[in-house]
Amino acid sequence: MALVLRFLNGAYIFRHCPKPYASCPYLVTRFADYCSSSLQNPVAASGRTSSQRKSEGDLQGHHQREVALDIASPEEKPEVSFDKAIKDEIKDHFRRLKDDIVNHWIGPEGRPLHEVLMEQAKVVWQFRGKEDLDKWVVTSDKSIGGRSEVFLKMGKNNQSALLYGTLSSEVPKDGESGRSGYCAMISRIPRGPFEKKRAYDWSQFNTLYLRVRGDGRPWMVNIREDTDIIQRKNQMYSYFMFTRGGPYWQEVKIPFSKFFFSNQGRIRDAQYQLLLDKISSIGFTLADKVDGPFFLEIDFIGVFTDPAHTEEFAYENSPELNPRLFK
Amino acid sequence: MKPLVLTTIMSTVILGTITVLMSSHWLMIWIGFEMNMLAIIPVLMKSFNPRTMEASTKYFLAQATASMLLMLGVIINLLLTGQWTVLNTPHPITSNMMTVAMAMKLGLSPFHFWMPEVAQGISLSSGMILLTWQKIAPLSVLYQISPSVNPNLLMTMAAMSVLVGGWGGLNQTQLRKILAYSSIAHMGWMVAVTTYNPTLMLLNLTIYIMMTLGTFMLFILSSSTTTLSLSHMWNKTPLITSLVLAIMLSLGGLPPLSGFIPKWMITYELTKNNMVTAAMFMAMTALLNLYFYMRLTYATALTMFPSTNAMKMKWQFENMKNTTLMSPLIVSSTMLLPLTPMMLAMF
Repeated sequence: MALVLRFLNGAYIFRHCPKPYASCPYLVTRFADYCSSSLQNPVAASGRTSSQRKSEGDLQGHHQREVALDIASPEEKPEVSFDKAIKDEIKDHFRRLKDDIVNHWIGPEGRPLHEVLMEQAKVVWQFRGKEDLDKWVVTSDKSIGGRSEVFLKMGKNNQSALLYGTLSSEVPKDGESGRSGYCAMISRIPRGPFEKKRAYDWSQFNTLYLRVRGDGRPWMVNIREDTDIIQRKNQMYSYFMFTRGGPYWQEVKIPFSKFFFSNQGRIRDAQYQLLLDKISSIGFTLADKVDGPFFLEIDFIGVFTDPAHTEEFAYENSPELNPRLFK
Repeated sequence: MKPLVLTTIMSTVILGTITVLMSSHWLMIWIGFEMNMLAIIPVLMKSFNPRTMEASTKYFLAQATASMLLMLGVIINLLLTGQWTVLNTPHPITSNMMTVAMAMKLGLSPFHFWMPEVAQGISLSSGMILLTWQKIAPLSVLYQISPSVNPNLLMTMAAMSVLVGGWGGLNQTQLRKILAYSSIAHMGWMVAVTTYNPTLMLLNLTIYIMMTLGTFMLFILSSSTTTLSLSHMWNKTPLITSLVLAIMLSLGGLPPLSGFIPKWMITYELTKNNMVTAAMFMAMTALLNLYFYMRLTYATALTMFPSTNAMKMKWQFENMKNTTLMSPLIVSSTMLLPLTPMMLAMF
């Protein structure tokens, strides 16, 4: 089932995308989504109006001018092969299964136990090549009919990732939205063989470390836990990241104890500690109600143990605010 | 939780299990299971957070499905035999159905997937109850229907459980998950001998409960939920560190500790009944369990992992947690091997 889904998401395409076939509208959309991680930033389920497609095409053209170095060389011919795609996909999954079994034998995360236990800092995401961008998804209020735009590309010398775009808090005129104006960059959920969901175990670290360079705008860092329950997919833990805007890089350290809990976009009175053994994804959101361009350059995202930080949870629950917890 | 509420809930948990133990009517057994399940849910959610809620939901779904399957087996048994009594030999179809229902309740493979997730999501004290007390009722039902249980089905599930318990626990760093996989493996050993000598199953259960309770109490005393926090225990309580060494090796079934008794007796019983291959397979896969216990022991007691200076000050603070039962449990978890003939005579 997972293989069929992967195939429908995009056939095997060597770096250069062919024109979409008019007879397969479903595949048309999926081709555009799959092959454009380098050439075009994947946008979450957008509206289906032709005007939006046109504006996307314009933006894509604009973006392609900026990333001219990404165009494939003339020697590489575009090739679409159904059989090869399926075979390669199956081989890839079985190879990952074999690696999984071997790594399971070696130790946690494929490394010996003493190495994992003595680790005090770890770089989880870094941006050194196009394949690092594939681990992220960018989204904006375009999915609800807004006018914000967001793109993700590699920075200069392939040493960082640049998240940029334009924020627009113009409310979509659909009769139901009251507010608008957000752009986000979310990491993809790590997958194992046969698309099995995985989670990060950061239980031996206590602080998030980010090396970023922004434009002075306030961002929100969101962490989601791995869950099997649908209702919990709207729950996340957030904290603020204030960028300085100067030419110098900024090292942001956020202890995990500071993250506050929110459900369905609302900060809850009852606060719970962020449990670090099953982290699913991290995201950066900009929603500061200031229209205009923005950018955020990210060098790497890591976690480390700060021995001076002993706080377990920064917020307390009180019987007045949440009596249910104190029954 | 308020004391009155906690007393009521815990009484219901205990009453549910005792109802199952004392009943000879299938409907009363089912009622006992339901009482026990519904009362344990708030115990699992004692420290309320989204993770415990998810763990309790998963536990409820697994147990409710098993109870449903048990009820289906009971009703089919009623249709085929016209009897509600437990002691009457049920029809093979119904005994298989009941076996599968009990396997789901116990977390035997291939119905074990809920066990590590639930154990990881709840607190240490709730996990202690889940992995010890909650095993008594399903095993008592298996004990009662053991003459009519399909031995091939049970042996297959037992072998798979020992393998899954050993393999799954291999690269875990979370202690509750390690103990959950340990529970799966031990349940495999217990049900393997059920059709040949059910009293050995009870002996294994008793020793397993003592060892698991002792382990959990040690972890609760040091508030350790990960291998890393356990590896820093040498800083805070060196005596407890050495006890962790003993109890881990006992859980792994190494002689001359208590944990060796059930493995030895079960292997002997299986060999007596010409199940040499199964006994050999289970003994070899038990080495996987021993491997991850040894790894825990290595990290905890055999090496002194580097730690910060802040940890070294904890020795001066007296531990205020209740340790009444810890001493007898640890003694009985490690030093009972010489009493094996007496225990065999008792059971």
